[in-house]
Amino acid sequence: MKKRSPADVAIQALWRDNPVFRQILGICSALAVTNLVLNTLVMCAALTLTTAASCLTVSLLRKYTPDRIRMMVQTLIIAFYVILIDIWLKAFWPEMGRALGPYVGLIITNCIIMGRCEAFARFNPPGLACLDGLASGLGYAFVLLAISVVRELLGMGSILGLPVPWFATHWDKWIIMVMPPGAFFTLACLVWLFRSLAPNAEGTAK
Amino acid sequence: MIVKKPWFTVVYMFVLTAFFSSAVIALSRATRERVETNRRIALERAVLEALAVALPADASALELHALFTQQVRPPAAESHGAFRRVADGRTLAYALPVEGRGFWAPVRAVVGLDADRQTLTGLAVYEQNETPGLGAEIAKPGFTGQFRGRRLGAHAPRLRFKRPGLPRAENEVHAVTGATQTSVRLERIINAAVDRWLQRMNERHAPGSAQTR
Repeated sequence: MKKRSPADVAIQALWRDNPVFRQILGICSALAVTNLVLNTLVMCAALTLTTAASCLTVSLLRKYTPDRIRMMVQTLIIAFYVILIDIWLKAFWPEMGRALGPYVGLIITNCIIMGRCEAFARFNPPGLACLDGLASGLGYAFVLLAISVVRELLGMGSILGLPVPWFATHWDKWIIMVMPPGAFFTLACLVWLFRSLAPNAEGTAK
Repeated sequence: MIVKKPWFTVVYMFVLTAFFSSAVIALSRATRERVETNRRIALERAVLEALAVALPADASALELHALFTQQVRPPAAESHGAFRRVADGRTLAYALPVEGRGFWAPVRAVVGLDADRQTLTGLAVYEQNETPGLGAEIAKPGFTGQFRGRRLGAHAPRLRFKRPGLPRAENEVHAVTGATQTSVRLERIINAAVDRWLQRMNERHAPGSAQTR
C-alpha cells in the first residue's frame, strides 16, 4: 500500500469515492432523516463525529488488535461513540433526540463507518485515519444536505423551518417529498447528477 | 511477542469491553437525572398547556416547574390518574394524560377538561414522531388550538374528528389534511382514554352515590 498525502485522502473520501453517490453506502439513513434540514444537520454531525472518532480509535489500536476479532472490536468502538452521542442528545437536546428517534442508535449499523475502519483505518496512522473518517462523514453530510434541502423546499416551502419567499406562498407543495417516496426520487436524481459530474469509469482506478 | 499468545485475544477483548462499558455507564449515570428532568418538564409543560394556564412565551424550565407546583396537584386516587388544577381547595380543571400508537411511533398527549368534565380546556401533544409537515401538525397550535371550548358528547365517541372545511358541531374538531392515519389514531387514543376516565369518575362521583353508602 503506497503512502498517500492528506489532501489526496480527503478529496478521495469527499468526492471521488463519495460514500453515498459513489459507493452507495449509508442509504438507509439518507432516506430516513432527510425530510427536514435541521434533523439532517444533526444526524450528519453525529455521523461525522462517530466516523472520525472510530477511525482514530481503530487506527490507534491497529497494532494490537488480533485480526480474527477485528470486526468485533470495530463494532464495539463504533457502538461506544454512538451511545455517547445518544446519551448526550437525550440529556441536552431532548427535542432533537426524540425527532431522530431510533436513527441515532442505527448509526452503529451505518456501513460507511465500518467500511472506513475496515478499508482504511486499520492500515494507516491515526492522523490520516481520523482525516479519512472526517472527510467520509462530510462527504455523506453534503449529499444528505442536498437531498434534505430539495425535500424540505419542495415539500414544505421552507428551509430549516424558515419560509422561503416564493416557495412558501406560490408553490403548490409536493406533499410526497416529505413522505418516504420523496427520498427515493431525490436520492436517485442526485446520484445521477453527481455521477454525470464526476465520471469515474469503474476499473480505471486499479 | 505477547500479541501472538493464544490467550491474548480473549484478554484483549475483555479489557476493551470493560473499558468502553465503564465509560458508557459512567456517562449514563452522570446524566440520568438530567434526562429524567427533561422528561418531567415536557410533561409538566403539556399539562399546563392543556389546562390553558397562561405561560410566559419564553418560560424557563424552572419558572415552568414553579408554576406547575403552584397550580397543579399530581394524580391521586380520587382523580383516577388525572392531574388537577386547584385554587382555594377547589378543582378548577383536570388534565388527563393519554397515550397510544400513532402512525409511526407512540403518541403521548394531555387532554384538559373543565371541572364539569364536559368542556375541554385544551390538548397538548408532547411526544410524537409523525411525518413532518403532515401528521406532526397534531402537535402544533393550529391543530391543538381547536380543542379549547369544545364540549364532549354524552355517548362514545365523545369527540369526533371531521374533514377539514366541513362545519363542526360542538363536539367536533377538524382532522389534519393529508394525515388521515395519524388523525384516526389520535381520535381513537383520546376517545378511549377520556371515555374510560369519565366512566370511573362518574361511578365514584355520581350524584347521591357517595351519600347513600
